Formats: sequence, C-alpha cells, structure tokens
Amino acid sequence: MTSHPLFPTQEIGSLMKPRWQLQGQQGVALDERARTEFRTWDEKIHFSRGAEASANSLLTDPPGKVSPDEVRDLGALFGLRYFETRGLDRVYDAEARRIEMYEYPIRQMHGFQFFGHVRSFDNKYYLKAANTGEIRLERPYHVEEFDFVRTHAKAEPKLPITGPYTLADWSFNEQFLARQKGWKGRATRRAAQREFVVDIARKAIRPTLAALIEKGCRVIQIDEPAAGTHPDEGALVAEGFNAATEGLDAEFTMHICFSDYRDLFPALLEAKRCRQWAWEFANRDRDGLDGYEVLNVLREYGDTRDVGLGVLDVHRDEMETPQKIAERIRRATKILGDPKRIWVNPDCGLRTRSLEVAYAKLGAMQRGAELVRAEFSNPRT
Amino acid sequence: MTVRTALSGPFPRSEALVAATRDLDRGRTTPEAVEELFARTEKEVLDLETRLGLDAFTAGYLRWQDTFRPISESWSGFSVGPVTRMFETNTFFRQPILLGPPERTPGAIAARLPLPLRSGEKARAKIVLPGPYTLAGVLDNRSGDTTEGLIHRLGRLLGDELRELRGLGYSIFQFQEPLLVVDPPTGPRAESVLAAYRAIAAHSAGATTIVWTYFADAVPAHALLDRLSVSAIGVDLAETDYEHLGPWSGAKALGLGVIDPRTTLPEDPTEVARIVRELQDRLKPPAIWLGPGGPLDLLPAEAATRKLLLLPAARRALAADGGPR
Repeated sequence: MTSHPLFPTQEIGSLMKPRWQLQGQQGVALDERARTEFRTWDEKIHFSRGAEASANSLLTDPPGKVSPDEVRDLGALFGLRYFETRGLDRVYDAEARRIEMYEYPIRQMHGFQFFGHVRSFDNKYYLKAANTGEIRLERPYHVEEFDFVRTHAKAEPKLPITGPYTLADWSFNEQFLARQKGWKGRATRRAAQREFVVDIARKAIRPTLAALIEKGCRVIQIDEPAAGTHPDEGALVAEGFNAATEGLDAEFTMHICFSDYRDLFPALLEAKRCRQWAWEFANRDRDGLDGYEVLNVLREYGDTRDVGLGVLDVHRDEMETPQKIAERIRRATKILGDPKRIWVNPDCGLRTRSLEVAYAKLGAMQRGAELVRAEFSNPRT
Repeated sequence: MTVRTALSGPFPRSEALVAATRDLDRGRTTPEAVEELFARTEKEVLDLETRLGLDAFTAGYLRWQDTFRPISESWSGFSVGPVTRMFETNTFFRQPILLGPPERTPGAIAARLPLPLRSGEKARAKIVLPGPYTLAGVLDNRSGDTTEGLIHRLGRLLGDELRELRGLGYSIFQFQEPLLVVDPPTGPRAESVLAAYRAIAAHSAGATTIVWTYFADAVPAHALLDRLSVSAIGVDLAETDYEHLGPWSGAKALGLGVIDPRTTLPEDPTEVARIVRELQDRLKPPAIWLGPGGPLDLLPAEAATRKLLLLPAARRALAADGGPR
C-alpha cells in the first residue's frame, strides 16, 4: 500500500490538450507555436524522456510520420509528468486520450443508438444516445490507457471513469420505460430509470472496473457530475455506485461538482464502498460565502470518509495563493476534525484553463498543502 | 368540445443547423450562410406543423438561444449572465441579470420572431414568451425591486408587449411558466402573479392566452393556476398526477402536454386518447390543447419529429371513438 504525507495532493480530471498533440493527432505539420510549446514544456517537465524517437520525429519529420497513437502516448506522458513535476501524490495522464466523458463509454456498449445532437446551451450541443435494447459491453474500456499510465507513472495512479448514474442521466431511457405498462408518468419513469442505472452499472461499468483492477488499478475515481441534476435521486446515485463496485477490491472515490451536496444526503451515505468524496468547493468560496461550510453535512451524519478537497477554482484564471489554499485546508480540517481525512485537489478538471495557468495553480496548491503540513508536524511554530 | 394541437415551445435545431452554428462559432462559415439555413429550417418546421394538421404555428423558435434571451438581450435594464441549469435537465440557459428597472424596447420581440411568423398568417401564429413569474424567478435581481414588485412589473411590460403584437395581427400567446409548478408561489408572491396576469389580460381581449407549465406536477398549484386571467392552462402530463387534477372554473381551456421530451420513446396514441377522454368527462373544459409537455428541444430533431406524429394520431384515435365527449 502506498504511504502518503499529511494532506496528500491529487489531480481530479482532464487538462487542456497541448496544441502540438492536437496537430500531431490530426497528422498535420506542427506550426511554430506548437513546436515552441512542445520544447518549452519539455524543458520544464521532461515529458519526452524515454520517447525521444517519437518526439524528435514529431518535431522534425514530415507530418504523419508519427502515428496518432504515438502522439497520444506522448500526450499521456505529458499529462503524467505535468502532475508529477508539481509533486502530486496521485496522478493520471490528464485524460490525454479522451475527448469527452460520455460518448466514448457509451460507444463501447451495445444497446444504444445516437439519434442526433441535443443543445446544451447557445451553439453548444452534445450527442445524446437512447438506450433501445439490452445493454452489453463490447469490451472493458480504459484498460490499455491505464496500462500505459501504470507502466510510466512515478507517482500513484488514480483512474477516473464516468459513473453509471451520469451515463444513464445523459441518455434517453427507452428500453426500461417501454417495459412499464400504462401511462409513463413520474413514478413509472423513476422506476424505469432505477432499472437503467443499475443495469448499466452491472453490465458495463462493473466488468470494466474488474478488468482495470485485474491490470493493477488500485484507486478509481467514479465521476458523477450528473448527481446534482435531480436532487432527490441521491439514493439512486448510491445504488448505481454500489452495483458498479459490488465485490470489487480497490479504493473507490466519488467525484461530484457544482451541486448542492446537502440535497444528496443522507441518501448518498449508502454508497458504502466509496472511500472518498471528491467535491468542488473553491468555486463557491467567494463573495463573502464560505464554500467549505457544506462539509458540515458529513459531520452532521457522522460520516468519517476521506474528502478530496477542491481548493482551486477551475473557472477563473485568478491565482489562488498558497496562503489562501492553506487557509482553506485549515477551515476544512476544523470542520472534519481529522487532518488525515483530507486530500487536496483542484475543484474539477483544469481543462478550461491554459496549461500555464493550470500549472501555476497546481504549484500554489502544492505549496499551500506544504504550509499546513508543516504546521501539523511542528505545531508550536 | 374542440381539440386543438400545437407545439408548446422551441423545436430542436436540425443536424445541419447544429453543424452550421458550431462552424459559425469556429469561424468556419459566414453569418449569411447560417442565416439562410435558419430561414430554410424555419420553413421546414412550419411545413411539418402544417403537414401534421396543427392548429397554431411556431416555426420552431430556432434562433432563440433560450427562452429568456429575446428579453434579456433587448429590454433595457437587462444583461445576459452566466450559464445556468434549466431546472432538472442537462440543458442550460444564460441567466438574465436585471441591473435596473426593466423597460421593454418597442419592436424588439416582434423583430426576433421566426420569419414565417412575421410574414405568414399571423392569426394562427403562436407567440411563445417567458411568463412573468418564471422570468422573475430565474433572473439575478440586482434592480433593488422586490421579487413581488418585479413579477407585477414584468406582467405589465408583457401586457404592453402583447398589445403591440396584437396590433401586428397576432392573437395566440403562450407564457412559459415552469416555475409556477416547480416552486408554486404563496401569499403576497401568489398575489403578485395574479396581478401580473391581470395586467396581461388588460390587453388580451379577443386573444388566446395560454399559461404552459412543465417540469413538475400541476396539481399542487391548481388553485392558483385556476385564478389566472388567461384562456388556457397547460400541464405536463408526464409530471402531473392527472387523476387528481381538479376542474377549472370559468371557461378555461385545458392544455395537455402529452409528448414527453425527456424520452425518445414515442407515446401511445390510444393511451393518450384514453386520458384525454377521461379528463374531458371529468373536468369538462371548453377546449383541449394537445402538445409537448415541455421544450421539445430536449430531444434531437429526428426524435422530436417522430414523436410529434402522436398529435395527429391521438386526434384520429379520439375521432374514431366519436371524439371527446
């Protein structure tokens, strides 16, 4: 088992894709900006070590010489070294091979049809699938991706995967609704949705988690960003989590963000195999509001699980100082009582920030954690 | 009893429009090309509404980025704020921010209506606007006015809007009021909602005014809905416990949201006809409007088109049984 310092740090999601990776994957010649970006970051975090042949070829050979898969490998190395150089205790590859978190997992399953796009807002859309038939996993996914990370990571890897509740909530439910007799009112719809969440958990997510664990994956973050969409469905989020992880041995965490966590309690407590709640807080810690006050919900219910404490606002370039981060950690420690329960991380993935800003924010996060760590190891100073 | 059918809100953008508007944001196409496609697609939606035999036309409101945008972009006192979740959906809108007393800009809404509604048969065009309670509830109110005062004021402004649109020949108006059932107002707030709709009614003589509710059960809000000064109240049948829906007093028509935009699964016309008959027998409304229960743009265009076939099918099922009694 990996040992960690007090207030260990971890990543929580994806980063913006480097320009050189996007161009390299497309098989076009890197422009000057992409080359400079590559070289600048390589000097800083040495991500191309061990992959010099691909790196040199990407920078100097005609376009297309390096395959898209080799470029993605370089992207994954970039993500790993980016986090490791900042000193994070748990890392992943910045989801370098993933474009989004819904369509890819759904396309690994039978029983779904894409009828077209649905508007998210303005001119932003997403493909939303309908579950029209029996759910069957084509093959466990993220496994090769994890294997690459495991082979190359120096810090402890933590794999993120979209959870069953979110996959079901972001899909249309035809299969289970069609089985319900009579008018499809609210109660009928909820019953059908429960079947859908549990089925996708058992038939698609669980086998994937089992395959990942078989490959040596020990820490798995189940992402449930949809959990806050229907505040009265906390029990279903927990049921899906339990069905996905049933009988599996790994450290499971649950990431939820931009939600009113209070609404999900006490129902969410039933996610028994969840060892850590990784939530966003920094985003709401402004304008005179205490973003960490919501942690009291855990104290109220006597829940003693670890907390992944979001200390970086991923929607603002404004830089958190190490002192600000330390103060946030202290506040959370005071509420939770036990400093050993706190992991320090960004609110969510930093993909909305530039690589430079995200890197600086992670540096501040690390220094903030060190400040509080020093106070606890030397309480009188 | 009359059964009428119509869309009750925005229609989804076609896949071609999805691609074009994305390209526009990425600088890969021109505003003129997108405008041309919008005009063509509006015409296609109108043609679809005609083919389905609908009684009122919307042309889909495809250009509107969200229900509130025509107001937040054109009325003074407003600005367009952050992306905000649209109730319990995975769809978002830009929260209107009210920085000072709201004032309408004459002609602004009319200019934002779909082209076929501006140039076609205006008497059958359905103008869909946010209701005063929902608009007041979703916006970020920095105007200094109380919520109650704001609801009433927005009602007066929407009444002025209706007067202007009536003058242009429009006569069917629908106010989107999901918040009336998601968070039914009580006390002084309920009184301000009633006052707002009285202000709208002051300009609606001879027009059809509809309050359309969705995303929650209308039964708990029934008493208030029944007191609104409008011609018809629409309820979302996928959410409403219709067996406990009470009768409307006066001569209000009943709107039934029979198409659930939260699933691609088509509804059964026989089942819909059964419920319509049951409600007709029990509530005896003077007319029934059938339409989608909520915004149809929660679906992809292909699925929405398929699901709309329910409306003529339900009508046929009702007619085959001698129509609603």
